Amino acid sequence: MRLNKYQDSLLVLPEDDANRQLAVGFSVNLNVKENAIQVLNEVGGWSKAVDSLEKTYSHILRKYTKMRIVLLIDFDQRDDRLAYVQQRIPDELRDRVFILGVQSEPERLKASLRKGLEAIGESMADDCANDTDEIWGHVLLNHNRAELARMIRTVKPFLLE
Amino acid sequence: MPSALLIGKNGAGKSTILSALKLLKCIGRGDNRNSQLVSPKDFSAARTEVPIRFEIEVLIQEKRYKYSVSLELPEGFRELRVLEENLQVEGESIYSREQAQVTLAAQKRAAQFLVDWHLIALPVIQEQSETDPLHIFKTWLARMIILAPVPSLMTGESQEETLQPNQDGSNFSEWFSGLLSRYPAAYKRVDSYLQTIMPDISDIQNELIGRNAKSMVVRFEKNGTYLSVDFKDLSDGEKCLFLCSVVLAANEYYGPLFCVWDEPDNYLSLAEVGHFVKALRRSFKDKGQILATSHNEAAIRQFSHDNTFFLDRKSHLEPTLSRLLSDINIQGGLIDNLILDEISL
Repeated sequence: MRLNKYQDSLLVLPEDDANRQLAVGFSVNLNVKENAIQVLNEVGGWSKAVDSLEKTYSHILRKYTKMRIVLLIDFDQRDDRLAYVQQRIPDELRDRVFILGVQSEPERLKASLRKGLEAIGESMADDCANDTDEIWGHVLLNHNRAELARMIRTVKPFLLE
Repeated sequence: MPSALLIGKNGAGKSTILSALKLLKCIGRGDNRNSQLVSPKDFSAARTEVPIRFEIEVLIQEKRYKYSVSLELPEGFRELRVLEENLQVEGESIYSREQAQVTLAAQKRAAQFLVDWHLIALPVIQEQSETDPLHIFKTWLARMIILAPVPSLMTGESQEETLQPNQDGSNFSEWFSGLLSRYPAAYKRVDSYLQTIMPDISDIQNELIGRNAKSMVVRFEKNGTYLSVDFKDLSDGEKCLFLCSVVLAANEYYGPLFCVWDEPDNYLSLAEVGHFVKALRRSFKDKGQILATSHNEAAIRQFSHDNTFFLDRKSHLEPTLSRLLSDINIQGGLIDNLILDEISL
């Protein structure tokens, strides 16, 4: 694995193929440092993403203390989704686990923006690098504001140009 | 679309696309005898009564070039002959041809002349200058990089220099030498890429082993201890990583290039495939274009539906169809659908 697990790095765990494509777009953006991010295989659902975090990636995060992970999941219009997932994160890992996603599902975002998912992912990376919210300010994404800000604070120094 | 992926079942037609591009590259490099480029067995479903047509449309320096050539095998002929050939730029004809008759469009009047119909005209028409569309297009074709490396043929030995890599990578060291000879600063790019995947790499030497012969040696270093390894003794996967480093450097220093890599995931460890493909995609993002084929799910996952073409055909006697995945209704995960053979056109 090219990712240096002993240095600051970010894993992205997408719940499905659509979120994977968002993550791919983010990772190929040239503002994102190539060797600081790895997009994992999609796991087939938001609850499976949480299960994977508990059963697999918690172990990895405990072993590699500079590694972070972001779960890219659909919120399915549920206001309680973030809180539910957060309460399943082990306390000692909470500051290195982030939960982001589309308020409904990526396909709706794609239809609204009339852009491909990879292109949307690239724009997300541009926003993060440039401190803008052209994409993240969209009605289907702006619920991520606090969590995104928390993530950017910690990952920007090693992830973004 | 700076990068794109072709996927599909075995026999869907991915390699045929590469063969067609290789033919066009050969034309760009000056090969123009029909019999050297195409044979009667290349006719689709052995239907020699239907002409073979090659067509390519490319954007070069923001101008749209469209080139086509059709070849036929009339009854009684042993060698294919040119039926039609055309080059247009932004919709305006540069030249057109019907059988032996070539019409060259000039600014004020057209010129007509004959070319042996067993020869492709593009390589033989005289270019006026380096800004001549003919020159620009031929150069673009000739510089195409088509790769399907066979690492066992990459020996690290060279007697010449070139900027034209062979499809199988067998002249990799000639390409490496040619790149550094013309663009010495390219070593920086080669080294920076290799350092990310082989942190213990120290340098690459091209040692003189004979009058005109050189052999590549790779040096590794850890804690002040050095190890020299002949390039030919590197693993197949490592050789492919070196090949990738030169591709990236070539695109940066004498690009933009159009690179086609057949199954770049071959020979690579599972941990390496994703990063390798992502590095290629990122390198060609702002300059050049890369087209890959793959059956490997780790490689496939580095692309999205907006830049992945699915190729399919119902039988060997039917034409290959292709469509972007984003234009196909796929229920569930892409990889699962591919494994279950649930996608068809």
